[in-house]
Amino acid sequence: MRYDAIVIGGGHNGLTAAAYLARAGRTVVVLERRHVLGGAAVTEEVFPGFKFSVCSYVVSLLRPEIIRELDLPNHGMELLPLDGTFTPMPNGDYLWRVNDHYKTRREIARHSRLDAEAYDEYSRAMVEMGRFAKPILSMTPPDPTSLNPRGLLELLGIGRRFRAMRRHDRVNQIQLLTMSAVDFLDQWFETDVLKATMSASGIIGTFLGVRSPGTAYVLLHHYMGEIDGSFRSWGLSRGGTGAVSNAIGSAAKAAGAEIRTEAPVARILTRNGRVTGVALANGDEIRADVVLSSLTPHLTFLDLLDPAELPPEFVGDVRRYKYRGSSGKVNLALDGLPDFTCLPGPGAHLRGAISISPSIDYMERAYDDAKYGRFSRRPYVDIVIPSLTDASLAPPGKHVMSCFVQYAPYALKEGTWDDQREAFGDAVIDAIAEFAPNLKSLILHRQVLTPLDLEREFGLTEGNIFHGELTLEQLFFLRPVPGWAQYTTPVNGLYLCGSATHPGGGIMAAPGRNAALKVLQGARS
Amino acid sequence: MTAPARWDVVVIGGGVNGLVCAALLAKDGRRTLVLEARDEPGGCALTREIAPGFRAPALAHATGPLRRDVVDALQLAAHGLSVVTTDVDMTALAPDGRALVVYHDAARTADGLRAWSARDAEAWPRYVQSRAALGGVIGSLFGVAPPSVDEPSARDLWHLLRTLRAFRALDKADAYRLLRWGPMAAADLVAESFETDLLQAALAADGIFGAMMGPWSAGSGMQMLLAAANEAVGATGSRFVRGGPGALVSALTAALRQAGGDVRTGAPVARVLVADERARGVALASGEEIAARIVVSAVDPKRTFLQLCDPMDLAPEFLWRMRNYRVRGTLAKVNLALSGLPAFTGVAPDALQGRVRIGPTIDYLKRAYDHAKYGRWSPEPWMEFTLPTLLDPSLAPEGGHVLSAYVQFAPYALRDTTWEREREALGDVAVATLERYVPGLRSRIVARDVLTPLDFEREWGLTGGHIFHGELALDQFFTMRPLLGWGQYASPIRGLHLCGSGTHPGTGLTGGSGANAARAIAAAL
Repeated sequence: MRYDAIVIGGGHNGLTAAAYLARAGRTVVVLERRHVLGGAAVTEEVFPGFKFSVCSYVVSLLRPEIIRELDLPNHGMELLPLDGTFTPMPNGDYLWRVNDHYKTRREIARHSRLDAEAYDEYSRAMVEMGRFAKPILSMTPPDPTSLNPRGLLELLGIGRRFRAMRRHDRVNQIQLLTMSAVDFLDQWFETDVLKATMSASGIIGTFLGVRSPGTAYVLLHHYMGEIDGSFRSWGLSRGGTGAVSNAIGSAAKAAGAEIRTEAPVARILTRNGRVTGVALANGDEIRADVVLSSLTPHLTFLDLLDPAELPPEFVGDVRRYKYRGSSGKVNLALDGLPDFTCLPGPGAHLRGAISISPSIDYMERAYDDAKYGRFSRRPYVDIVIPSLTDASLAPPGKHVMSCFVQYAPYALKEGTWDDQREAFGDAVIDAIAEFAPNLKSLILHRQVLTPLDLEREFGLTEGNIFHGELTLEQLFFLRPVPGWAQYTTPVNGLYLCGSATHPGGGIMAAPGRNAALKVLQGARS
Repeated sequence: MTAPARWDVVVIGGGVNGLVCAALLAKDGRRTLVLEARDEPGGCALTREIAPGFRAPALAHATGPLRRDVVDALQLAAHGLSVVTTDVDMTALAPDGRALVVYHDAARTADGLRAWSARDAEAWPRYVQSRAALGGVIGSLFGVAPPSVDEPSARDLWHLLRTLRAFRALDKADAYRLLRWGPMAAADLVAESFETDLLQAALAADGIFGAMMGPWSAGSGMQMLLAAANEAVGATGSRFVRGGPGALVSALTAALRQAGGDVRTGAPVARVLVADERARGVALASGEEIAARIVVSAVDPKRTFLQLCDPMDLAPEFLWRMRNYRVRGTLAKVNLALSGLPAFTGVAPDALQGRVRIGPTIDYLKRAYDHAKYGRWSPEPWMEFTLPTLLDPSLAPEGGHVLSAYVQFAPYALRDTTWEREREALGDVAVATLERYVPGLRSRIVARDVLTPLDFEREWGLTGGHIFHGELALDQFFTMRPLLGWGQYASPIRGLHLCGSGTHPGTGLTGGSGANAARAIAAAL
């Protein structure tokens, strides 16, 4: 059978691309390897009665225009607030930041009056930065080496908006792109735990430490999170992050797209430099003139294609593209709520994110372990307990706890992940139990996902949750590889639409949308 | 109307940049006076006797190299500057006694590399070619003042256009290398071309030299490119000066005096005199006041604005930014007087005429850096040494030699200890490290001179002991050196200019900052 377009991979980006193509009247089929849609934005009942956002666990970067255009709320997507970040400290104190600026200001003042004042200016500056960067998320990166006037104009446009900012903000913008999260924050704040927790969002999904230049950017990447236009608010999705994927999928179906699960693609078919369709693992062949892959460049070009069909220097660039997964996930089914020594009892502080990031040195040491090929003995952990906000996820009185962990380097110096998985899980639980001793007694079940598991189960090459590191030399017109940042590939009709394309990872869905628009535009011209 | 000043220009600080700036302004007919705090000019370029008859480069042991236009404009050769050219550029010592030699001649280097890796030998010429091409493009920015960020002048745009043309003249592969290598980590950069550990580490060291960065820090790639750019605009083979760096200073002083300028030593400046929002001269520590139409500071920006100026004369935000300007020195210096040349195994004597590096693997550099992050100096430091007496026997008594070694990492800010307490321990580790690679060295040591970052600050006024007057990070470079909006050698105080290494292009003993500043100041006069 034959379609206008085939989308490989039923993650949120693949589904988004399919939805936009279907809305434009194309016949589209989405091919998902697993039995369930969502890719890394998936909800699964891992243990009876306990539903987990297995990988990606918060929604923050989902583009509002996509929510609007695909009318996701009517397809069952509901975002619930996830308010605040709670950081327990070894000295029995804690830092608890919430969305309410003034509450947070008062809380910070407990630690440092100076920092409380700096917090106003800092927040203002970051909002400015977000404003500047946001439009860039929705654009197709121009090629600076081409003489195509359109691209150059777009670059000039960015330049002009850049110059339009106050000099003060321009400096911040440049620093965000180049500095380390800690150096950047040092300019405003003196409280160690505050800087440690803030800088944590700068290292998520990267193989960098809070003191590594370049991490300030990821800080912004996470700061641009918005729900219904309001900055800086992370959110949970009712029914887990899988519900977001399902909503997008339902929007795609409504627009006429066909979606198949348990349909692993074995090969991308080409004839003299043109894509002609795909071959499934079961041997079926599906024909189409356009194929979009939401998989990583590694899987797309080195596994599904024969590298011999590609220009050697392109293959070289694809092989050079850095993944270096550095994070793991521990999902816990709990018999009750953890009790933090520094702020006992249940309370609003458990409804937000709980961050195990007591000091900058703690974060940096966690990173050093990874640099030498070990998982962090005392890791950074970002915890949410979604069942507090969404009771449907766990049986009454019970809870699901999602622990995002860094660092867990994909490449271990000694041993394999298969024989270190449980030791890793123990290290994570110990790290949390230092602050919430009752945790261990509450655990009914636990699921430990190492970078290797993320690769095997979800096709995340080397376990990188962003389909490739968000480092400066892999962003914008350099993502995923120089010269191929515009969703096209050296194979005619083959497009990339996954997180390895601009603007990158997170449940943003922007790559899927941008790629689909590129396909439609290509058809026009 | 105040009485006309006796001097048109007073320059604070008689280092290489200060002297270059002063000499060029004097040639331009300006009555110019250089004020040097120490009892001899030279700043970081100083030859001093470390034992009777043994004269070593006190601090810098190689020039950046010197910029061609500076050497020509000041006719330094005529003033006694004689540079020593060597075939060898750099030698990397291996723990097993072997050595890898990088010659200025690419073919010869490639021949030697075959013994290590055929692939690397293969890749070398291409790498050298790309490096030179990229250095050329960046170098084209070195000779001019960075553009104004607020209202670029016609000349600014013309210069940028020139660089843009140079960029477009690169072949596509190199164009992308430039975009990718800049923000990249040095370790990644070298791994793209080479597989030999020793070669990788020796090259990547350019990226961390003098910096608070490890080989995995993003941005260390840019520092490698800056080194390449210096070579592109440098007078070839001028890394070493007969008579040591001090001889360079004598030549500069001679050029200055011949042009009618003067140098006063033992004249530390205490304050920049400001009246009616304009610099009117300087006050010496002795209380003596020297009036001038223009005050030029060759000392680092932090010292200039935070110590020599009255905060009342500067805007709060400027002061805030300046306090956050990063000057975290990480380099120490160990000079040895040797009774004779130790036996180097596996190294031809001529291979010792260049810069000799100790730091066999990227991991070695990484470990050395990790200690600095926690405020400790490296027990296994990266080192670069030269044996100036091989090129210039006059520096030591008959048969004797001097060895001049950089030792990194030695962070200015130590945790739980002081440099007074650690100085000699550092010296011992440096000698032990050398002994490991150069057996029999210790027994030949006649005298030893250890200089820590604290000594650099106390003796040479380098804030934070930073040899480059501020980190060469992406956010402290070009238009942002020292601060965005103040990259054109001017300052918020009219009549006060900068010409030191804390201005564009900075980076070592090239005279570049001084020369660019002289042009900008001549225009202002």
